[in-house]
Amino acid sequence: MRTRAILGSILASTSVLIVGYQAGVSVTTSDGTSLSLPVDAATNGTAGGTNAGTDATTDSSTGSTSSSTPGSDTAAAAPTTAGPADGTYTGSSVSTRFGNVQVAVTIASGSITDVTALQLTDEDGRSVQISNRAAPILRSEVLSSQSAQVSNVSGATYTTDAYLSSLQSALDQAGA
Amino acid sequence: MRRAFATMGTMASIELPAAWASEVSEVQRIFRMIDDRYSLYSPDSELSLIAAGHTSLSHASPPLLASYARALEWRSATGGNFSPHRPDGTIDLNGIVKAEAIEHAGEHLIAVGCPEWSINVGGDILVSPTGAATPATASASPLGPRVMRAGIAEPLSPTELLCSLELRHPRRAIATSGSAQRGDHIWRAGSTEPISFVQVSVVANDIVTADVLATAIVAGGQTALDDVTDRWDVDVITVDRAGAMSATPGLLHSLATK
Repeated sequence: MRTRAILGSILASTSVLIVGYQAGVSVTTSDGTSLSLPVDAATNGTAGGTNAGTDATTDSSTGSTSSSTPGSDTAAAAPTTAGPADGTYTGSSVSTRFGNVQVAVTIASGSITDVTALQLTDEDGRSVQISNRAAPILRSEVLSSQSAQVSNVSGATYTTDAYLSSLQSALDQAGA
Repeated sequence: MRRAFATMGTMASIELPAAWASEVSEVQRIFRMIDDRYSLYSPDSELSLIAAGHTSLSHASPPLLASYARALEWRSATGGNFSPHRPDGTIDLNGIVKAEAIEHAGEHLIAVGCPEWSINVGGDILVSPTGAATPATASASPLGPRVMRAGIAEPLSPTELLCSLELRHPRRAIATSGSAQRGDHIWRAGSTEPISFVQVSVVANDIVTADVLATAIVAGGQTALDDVTDRWDVDVITVDRAGAMSATPGLLHSLATK
């Protein structure tokens, strides 16, 4: 779960960063200097030309993982064209429902060689998490909680008859 | 102290301090009043008279119209996965009135100043806001301020617990829906697909949200589960037909420890 959350946040932020450099906006390198990528250089670097660049921008605005694919194309095509300069690019901090997320990517010879999470959500005891979605769990993950003492039981609506043989009935009789 | 009694076609269990025992009869009165208005089992309830065409909806009582309007809002919000209509068009407010009854009873107990309570009606549970606990009751518990722990029944073996978790303010409500106890009692508009989840529990800040969304996820399956967890601040745990489970991060976080 934790791994999935981290991966998700990295992909989301990476896509924002890739949009940034494909659109030719200025980005900041790790040593603090700012550089501006010309729009045509970024477009040339994209396998499909201008249209592909536009598509990538559209996809990326949804933050979906598919948006990283055009980025990979860029990297693959880069050695034969004027690709992005080597260096480490820091993305802008993206606000998510669970807090801010920020990553840096390292580019060498036109390929992304490293993605580092600079900032991940951690608020209100919810550890690293950008999704509230339910994920598969194993029975062993809830096993220890089965033996905790409870005062009530939640279950699909009892009929009065079913209640008589239920755990809730036993708790009620014990006056728990 | 604990009181259990039959109401609304199921069983209710109320726990409150002994000094507040007299409030149980008021809670029973609230439940009886709601049952008299909405039960489709008793032929002279207001809703039965509307369903039979003896009373027109435009002449319905304000509380009934308010419940119906609230149910329709939930139908829109859940994309139809929760609906106050049976497939034949009959208005059936069972999906919301039990939760509303619990909500009313809880509001009553708060209004009279009852410090620490839990209400369980047919497996849907609401507990008092933790902040309302008195120092006397808090010190009586070895855990300090008392934590309300609720178990979730194992769907195919209701005398066992699937897991248990801690209910604390603001997460005061848990509701469980499924086909385990009453058969397949959830209406699903236009779907003949087999149900994917046999049991869904939703923990929320209020009991109506918990109850409605648990029903909506059972009716709408995985798509509804993802939609609900994306759009509402709730914790969910599900059990599918094969017995496999899924849970939101918040639910795992609230699991009880011994």
